Formats: sequence, structure tokens, C-alpha cells
Amino acid sequence: MTDQLLSWLSAYGLPALFFVLVVASAGVPFPATFLLVAAGSFVAQGELKLWEVCALACAGAVAGDQIGYLVGRYGGRALVLTTTRRFRAADKLARAEALTRRWGGAGVFLSRWLVTLLGPWVNLTSGAARYPWARFFVWDVLGEALWVAIYVTLGKIFSDRVQQLADLLGSLAWVVLGALAALLLGWKLLTYFRDSDAQPPDHSAADARDYADERAA
Amino acid sequence: MRRGVVQTLKGFGWRQWLVVLLFFVVLGATALHATFTLRRAIYWRQHQDDPIRGWMTVGYVAHSYRVPPRVLYEALDLPPREPHDPHAPRDRRPLREIAREQGRTVEEITATLQAAIARERERQRATPPNPGAPPTSPHAPPPPPPRRDDGGKP
Repeated sequence: MTDQLLSWLSAYGLPALFFVLVVASAGVPFPATFLLVAAGSFVAQGELKLWEVCALACAGAVAGDQIGYLVGRYGGRALVLTTTRRFRAADKLARAEALTRRWGGAGVFLSRWLVTLLGPWVNLTSGAARYPWARFFVWDVLGEALWVAIYVTLGKIFSDRVQQLADLLGSLAWVVLGALAALLLGWKLLTYFRDSDAQPPDHSAADARDYADERAA
Repeated sequence: MRRGVVQTLKGFGWRQWLVVLLFFVVLGATALHATFTLRRAIYWRQHQDDPIRGWMTVGYVAHSYRVPPRVLYEALDLPPREPHDPHAPRDRRPLREIAREQGRTVEEITATLQAAIARERERQRATPPNPGAPPTSPHAPPPPPPRRDDGGKP
């Protein structure tokens, strides 16, 4: 699969790059980072032009992200509303939307270039939570431009070792995602200890909370 | 402080213990994966050559292995350029396509290229470049014809 996509890049150049990035950003698990690195290598070899690669890669990625956002907003929105009505969780949805509005920009920006594995999900949830489109678009363009710049530059610098660099970066993406998950779980654990410090020690406090949660659910 | 931690742990319900378990599982898996990645990065720094894959063009393999592209085109019985197509100054076909056209497998093509690279490197070792000459890029088009300098022979 990866081999086939890279063969397209070798044979057809920029149109292949644009197409693969649209599809990958919309959520199909194509190795977009690998393609950017390879495109950077082709730039170093004089086969492709730098500004053309950057412009088309950015345009492709941003276009794919808009597809994800629209699906979340018009397809996902209906599903989310039905589900929340069924479970009577309208207040939770409102809270999630408020959270997305508050932190959505940073989430969109960081998921473009740092935690790229989350990118397509953030597109969907931003659309479903009705994060304002103009702001989504601006953060999206900024994040994707940075992503393209980083990986094309890496490909240019290590233009003779694309395969190994891409393998390494793919591996690193999982380390970043794992570190983020560990950070969130650690933060959650910390709040347990902080809550318990704030309250007088009570053996059954947590179980009581669980029980209350279960009753509410 | 320690007593406070113990008290908190004693107060944990199954949800809290699930978060503790998940935290350590994720932390362990990430640390393990990070170690593998680091080892790979160290290996990567020491080994320059990219493994040959079907997506690569002959030009890319030549670039990666720092040999003149002409050597590899000759090894595959290909013309170094496509004179009939002015828009394609280089052969951009990936190796898998070349393999298909020649009725061979990518592995066979890879083996041919590796043999040609080994021969070329042996040749380069046998005839070190003239110290007075400016350094030449392996990609300088058009590549110069092979020439053995008798004066440089041992």
C-alpha cells in the first residue's frame, strides 16, 4: 500500500501528492508523512520544485480537513443529537462544545503537526461540536503549513534516506500519541489525589462517587 | 504525605483503579516503544544506505547510494534518459514498474542494482579521485563516461 502510493508520487509527482493528502487528511489511513518526506527528497534531487510541493501539499491537506469537518458538522451532528437526546445528555454535549470552543484552536493546531494521528478525529469532533468554521480554517492552515514545512525540510535534509527516516517518524508518531495519553491519564490520577487532599479522608468517598455516577447513567 | 497517598488509594473504586492500570500500561508501552525508536534512530545514524524498495526510482537509488545513475541504468539495460519525451528529462518510473515491464520481480531488480552498486563502489575504491580535481556530484547531468586513469592504478 505505502509502496503503491509512493510509486504514484515517483511516477506522477504533484497531482499524486495532492490527491493522497486530501484522502489522508479526510481520514483514510494513508502514509501522508512518508509522502511528504519523499517529496522533500525529490525536491533535493531537483525532480520537484519546493514551492509547488509546499503549496499543493498544504492545499491538499487543508481540503481533506474541511471534508472531515463538514462530515462532523452535518453528518455527525445529527448522530450526536439523536444519541444525546436518547441518553438525556444534552448538558454534557453543551459542556463538550464549550470545551471545544475554548481549547479547539490549540487542539486543531497541535493535531495538524505534533499529534498527527488524531488529526482526522479532531476534524470530525470540531465539526460535530460546531467549532466556528472560520477559526477552524485559520488554525488548520497554520498547523498544516507547519506540518508540511517540517516534513518536507526533513526529507530535503535526509534526501538519501527517505525509507528509514519515514519508518523512524512513523514510530515516533506512536511515541508522541502514547506520551500524550499517559499525560492525560496521569493528570486524571493527579486530580484524584488533589480531590482527596481537599476533602477529609473518607474510605468510601470514591466508591460513593462511582455509585452516584452509575445511578445517574 | 505517604499516609495521605495510602488513604487516597484505599478510597479508590474500580473506575479509579482502571485509570491507574491504564496509566501504567500506556506508560510502559510508550517507554518500550520509545526505546525501540531510539535504538532504530541510533542504527539509522550509523547506516547510511536506504534499503531498496519498489517505489524508488533508479535516480533515487543512485542518490541514496551515491553512485552515478548511469551505472544503474546500464545494469538494468535501460537508456539513461528518455529522449523521445521532452517533458520527462529523467526516468521517473518506480522500480516495480520497471520490473513489470521487464518481466522480473522487484527482488531480482534489487539484486541486480545491489550488485551494480557493489561493483561501482569497488571501482571507486580501486581508483581514488584525483586530489586536484573538483568534487563531482553523482547526479551531475549528463554523467561522464567511465574512464580508468592508468596513472592512478597501483
